[in-house]
Amino acid sequence: MKKYVSVIAVIMLCVFVAMGVAACTPDTVPVDELVVYNWADYIYDYEDDFKEYYKDITGREINVTYVTFDTNETMLTKLVNGDAKVDVVCPSEYAIQKLLESDSLVKLDYFDEAAYTNNMTINDKYTHNSGNVDAHILDKVDATFGNIVTNSGQTVKMSDYFVPYMYGTLGILYNKYEFIANNIYDEQILNKANWGILFNDDGSGNILSEALTGNILMKDSIRDTYAATVFYLKERGLLDGKSTPDGVKYTDLSANQLINQVDDTILDLCREVLTDQKSQLFGYEVDFGKDDLLQGNAFVDLAWSGDALYAVEESWNDDLGEEGDYELAYYVPNGAGNIWFDGWVVPDCCNPDHMNAIKLFINFLNQPRVAAENMLEIGYTSALDPQAVMDDIEARRALAEGYAVYAPELWDDNDNKNPISADDCDYDSWDEFEEYFFAYCDEIDGCNWRYPFLTEQDGNYNRALDTLGVMRDFGDKNHDVVTMWNYARSAGVSALPLLGWTALGVVAIALIVAAAVGVKAIRRKRVVIRSDDK
Amino acid sequence: MNKSKFKFRFTRRAFAYPYMAFLLLFVVVPLVIILINAFLDEGKLTFANFAEFFSNAGGGLTVLGNSLIIGLVTTLICLAIGYPCAYLLAKYHASNRVLVLLFILPMWVNFLIRTLSTKAIFMSLNVELGMGTVLFGMVYNYLPYMILPLHTTLVSIDHSYIEAAEDLGADRLSVLLKAVIPLSVPGIVSGITMTFIPAISTFAISEILSGSKIYLFGDAINMHFAKTTNSLGVGSVMSLVMLVLVIVANVIVNLTNKEEEVNSVL
Repeated sequence: MKKYVSVIAVIMLCVFVAMGVAACTPDTVPVDELVVYNWADYIYDYEDDFKEYYKDITGREINVTYVTFDTNETMLTKLVNGDAKVDVVCPSEYAIQKLLESDSLVKLDYFDEAAYTNNMTINDKYTHNSGNVDAHILDKVDATFGNIVTNSGQTVKMSDYFVPYMYGTLGILYNKYEFIANNIYDEQILNKANWGILFNDDGSGNILSEALTGNILMKDSIRDTYAATVFYLKERGLLDGKSTPDGVKYTDLSANQLINQVDDTILDLCREVLTDQKSQLFGYEVDFGKDDLLQGNAFVDLAWSGDALYAVEESWNDDLGEEGDYELAYYVPNGAGNIWFDGWVVPDCCNPDHMNAIKLFINFLNQPRVAAENMLEIGYTSALDPQAVMDDIEARRALAEGYAVYAPELWDDNDNKNPISADDCDYDSWDEFEEYFFAYCDEIDGCNWRYPFLTEQDGNYNRALDTLGVMRDFGDKNHDVVTMWNYARSAGVSALPLLGWTALGVVAIALIVAAAVGVKAIRRKRVVIRSDDK
Repeated sequence: MNKSKFKFRFTRRAFAYPYMAFLLLFVVVPLVIILINAFLDEGKLTFANFAEFFSNAGGGLTVLGNSLIIGLVTTLICLAIGYPCAYLLAKYHASNRVLVLLFILPMWVNFLIRTLSTKAIFMSLNVELGMGTVLFGMVYNYLPYMILPLHTTLVSIDHSYIEAAEDLGADRLSVLLKAVIPLSVPGIVSGITMTFIPAISTFAISEILSGSKIYLFGDAINMHFAKTTNSLGVGSVMSLVMLVLVIVANVIVNLTNKEEEVNSVL
């Protein structure tokens, strides 16, 4: 009994001390609030850094509530129904378009410093980071979405309402060594097949390689599949001579116009090729695609650049090549391609009292060091200009630590010591790492996987801006697209043979039982006869 | 007197109120919402969703047919394997409860983990994923639901019926065919419903064990609700069709059970 009393006493003491501590803090420094609504696993461990940053600039404490979502659809439903009381959200481009159209966003003006910092409580330590954002992305955004007309009749520009966060391309993740073994790891062969790789088509209607049959994965996501399929249709010439309902030839459309073109002709063609594709597929995937490729269950997968780069880095194998090699590789098809991005927006259901914290949070994320940490954590490409990241000493330190780069020159050896020794490093120098991370161009697709817009030395983009399209929302065509996708998914599968086999099985069992009963009956008759004889 | 009729009295019945409220909130209200959604298209009252589903525009009927066939075959295989199993378990019930435990044990492991491991086994054996593997996964997952009700019924059969049959000159086969099987019909019927209904609405097993190539009714409903917006209407129609199927199955069960009661009383 005494034991219990003392245990209870200790617990109560602890509770009182804790309450005392908790009660004291708010008296000294005022605490602000912020509610962040983001994708799951889509930010680094930012909380302490942000609190420090916030205190540095406002002298106040901040308390962040962090909520996550899994799909744009769940997020949109919650925001539009008003179920979520959140301050700052990170949707994909087409979801931002939807939110803008339904007048659900607050204008930010991040790229107009005076307008943005107006009404903000900040001291002179504040620096506006909008200049760090990659200008190519903003160009692309406004080129694609142009002026959006909202339901209330206003005409708005998307770049006034959002701040880009991450971006990437849609491409093909494949098993390089399987391709080498089957003699198709060749610049000319793959560039001819291009999007056809996903359909096991060499670019002229023949099979690319027998080995790929039954080893191709497609995404169980209609938007991504639609983009890949439409580009494939164009490449194979299946759209030649056909026109949109408006009378424009499909072949005259730019990449951007083509993936945003939805009509009956193109949907019928999509349904056809997607149904035919099934005989080549290993299956459709949502979450397990990377694992299936890493385990060698499948050789080809439709993938986003961030996922693909993660899988490629995971696939390092010491036994391959002369000094080890990555088993997987990524392929960004030439010509028309698809690019995606997401960014931070402020929904109008936000708490107006939190506006200061919202604006500081967005500006905080656009620091090169934070971008570097995020890239390390998430694997996608930050929307910050790569040059801004390369030029920032703290960002370089973060990357050097994350990728185990031996670069003692980045640390001054007084307060900050170089944490990577020459023995443990994966990269011998910062230059070697920079070459890999920022400037690497693949020999097969000639593309920088991480930075598709990065300029080459002669000042040209290594991808022409107009070949990469951004996909808008399907809008009122959404329903037709879903119907097409459902049809393609259900076609070509029939369980009827199964019914036949089962009927056969049932008949067989019935026959056996009947035979057993019959044999018994005959035996019994014999017994009866015998007993009669006696 | 009439007034006191509506007065709240703390009787045993009061304990049922929270449960009634729960049912109302989480069963009746969602059903009504599904019903309303089935008749709504872009905010207008219409039969368009039904027309779309029954015209097979999105392949819905094909998918439903495949699901029904796969569910039926799964149930038959489960019955063919489950009945002898349950019979043996019941026969040796008194002496060995460990056997029963072994059959229930897989149900304690999370069903997704079980299915993913099944896939891993198939992959390591180089078995091509498809209809066969899906069927295997379904039978493997739903077998306990067949065995358990059968086992309960078989164990509860009064042994004196069997002795009586033997006394009257029935051999073993006749005892099985004329005494044990007829007496276990309620177990067979509830086993069939407990297997068939989840088997036609499953989506995770077909998704994992066929690499999503075999597209079942559950997958289609999941697609309409979880993976797209603006298509709640057709999804709701599909859910209603599913609901009708479940109700039909239950009616059949009730009818057979009633007949059985009459028979056993006679």
